[in-house]
Amino acid sequence: MNAVVAATRRTRGLELRKLAAFVRRDFLVAWSYRLSFVTGFLGLLGGALVFYFVGLMVDPASIPPVDGKPVSYLEFAVVGMALGGFLHLGLERVSAALRNEQLMGTLESLLSTPTAQVTVQIGSVLFDLIFIPVRMTILLTTLALAFGLGLQLDGVPQALVILIFFMPFVWGLGILAAAITLTFRHGAGVVGLAVAGLTLVSGLYFPVGLLPGWLTAAAEANPLAIAAESLRDALLGGADWSAIGPDILILTPLSLLSFLLGTAAFRVALRRERRLGTLGAY
Amino acid sequence: MGMTSAAVSAAPLRVVRPAPAPLAIEVAGVTKRFAQREALSGVTLGVEPGQIHALLGPNGAGKTTLLRILSGLVTPDEGSVRLNGLAPQAARQLLGLVPAGDRSFYLRISALENLVFFGRLHGLRRRDAVARARAALESVGLAAEERKRAGLLSKGMQRRLALARALLCDPAILLIDEATHDLDPEGARRVRALVASAAAERSIAVLWTTQRLEEIAGFADRVTLLDLGRTRFCGSVDDLIAHSVVRRYVLTMPTVERDRELVARRAGAAVLGRAEIGIVPSDADRYVLELRDRSVLGDVLAALTAAGFPIVACRPDRSEIEEAFIALTGDER
Repeated sequence: MNAVVAATRRTRGLELRKLAAFVRRDFLVAWSYRLSFVTGFLGLLGGALVFYFVGLMVDPASIPPVDGKPVSYLEFAVVGMALGGFLHLGLERVSAALRNEQLMGTLESLLSTPTAQVTVQIGSVLFDLIFIPVRMTILLTTLALAFGLGLQLDGVPQALVILIFFMPFVWGLGILAAAITLTFRHGAGVVGLAVAGLTLVSGLYFPVGLLPGWLTAAAEANPLAIAAESLRDALLGGADWSAIGPDILILTPLSLLSFLLGTAAFRVALRRERRLGTLGAY
Repeated sequence: MGMTSAAVSAAPLRVVRPAPAPLAIEVAGVTKRFAQREALSGVTLGVEPGQIHALLGPNGAGKTTLLRILSGLVTPDEGSVRLNGLAPQAARQLLGLVPAGDRSFYLRISALENLVFFGRLHGLRRRDAVARARAALESVGLAAEERKRAGLLSKGMQRRLALARALLCDPAILLIDEATHDLDPEGARRVRALVASAAAERSIAVLWTTQRLEEIAGFADRVTLLDLGRTRFCGSVDDLIAHSVVRRYVLTMPTVERDRELVARRAGAAVLGRAEIGIVPSDADRYVLELRDRSVLGDVLAALTAAGFPIVACRPDRSEIEEAFIALTGDER
């Protein structure tokens, strides 16, 4: 029995080591596109500038206070923008990661190695899942310094925990889109639709209170809306652990559901491709 | 000592037979259908350790499908495959795969980093993966290119890189798909030499798919000829050549007579009764001579010369393997 446990631990250790190889590979690929990183970041800053000027037209009284503190529209929108970017990039990268392997012709080489399917799935997006929050932090810091945003540093650990609990939701949705892409060869439309639907009832860029009543109810079950509100509480209101606890309790089952659904769908899609012999086709 | 012959004959007879060599690759009755099309139909073959087994066949024969089944990328509808006694999914540690096509690497990262990545997916620690990757690059003559991006390597170099990747973790089995398909003759020869030495030195079982008939003689130990998913032949290269029942030669005969059909008929009449032959016009001054028995070629040429036909050249039209291929598949490529 102990030997079996030891073997299982060894295998898990081995698979974890492989994740590091994926991260290094994707870092090297991203590093080879340095200009694209800089232009992408400048694009985000440009977007923030648009929100700054829009914010000049918005009556501050129409923005709901965060944890009882009044906030500007730019402060409100920037947190939403950072989280929206996280969702959008995360979904896009997760859903496209295996498709890219397919297009590059590396998917078959990858799947013929002794690597667990789940390691290939997670490994293919791990770099992005690490990189996107880093990019989000750089963006928020730059904007806070440039526009004097009132970000609360003592809320950063809570914000990171919210993101960690939100990540499986993004990953699950992305891998579901990847399963659709693997089956139908085009998944971009599905990702776009999912992002649009979730964003509409999320309160990322405008208060949820502006939505019609029935959509406001939908926002209460939208993990993106829950994460956005919780992030604002942490980063703008400096909310402590007890304040974000209930949000994490709601977020956890939703993230778990998305994760399991996505993983199961991908497993089915991969089995179908193996049966049809079209894994390398694009 | 002192044992009589009767005692010897009374002793139970123990016949010691050498144990059959265990097969590294076993394919038994594999059938695979895609929609209505049968890509493979009851294919059976076996490859021993250290043996190079050529899987020969025209486009659409089912060669790549069989390799994908063996590497666990496609599941067969019927039959079974075993790699060192294991199912393909469980045998990936034993496997080195050289896929068809020239796009199986991360083109933006270096040749070395590509190999290190795949080495680590085989469970190697980074330090070991780097050491092995360097050794593998050295063995395929790419040591000087280790820092070059994979995308900047020539096709021939990428094929050698694919071979280096396949050999990286001491595989027991190599599956190589059309490795020389678009290489120049020297590049193709180099890749074959690398595979042959790896198979011999490390006792690796190699399944080598190809459409190039000329490359299997002197390279492969055994051949399976697939056509439209069915096995047309399985045996040694010599056995395959024995199927070349007709041997064709191209004769160059610049005659004064311009009616080439007439020349062919006259030439046929001149050698009538010497062998089962045929002579048909080809192009310009050339004629195709077909013999059932290649040993009579000298007699036939002598008879034609004696009859006044000005033969200035005679060369085989196709290799014996090509003749066998045509005889077995009916494919006049």
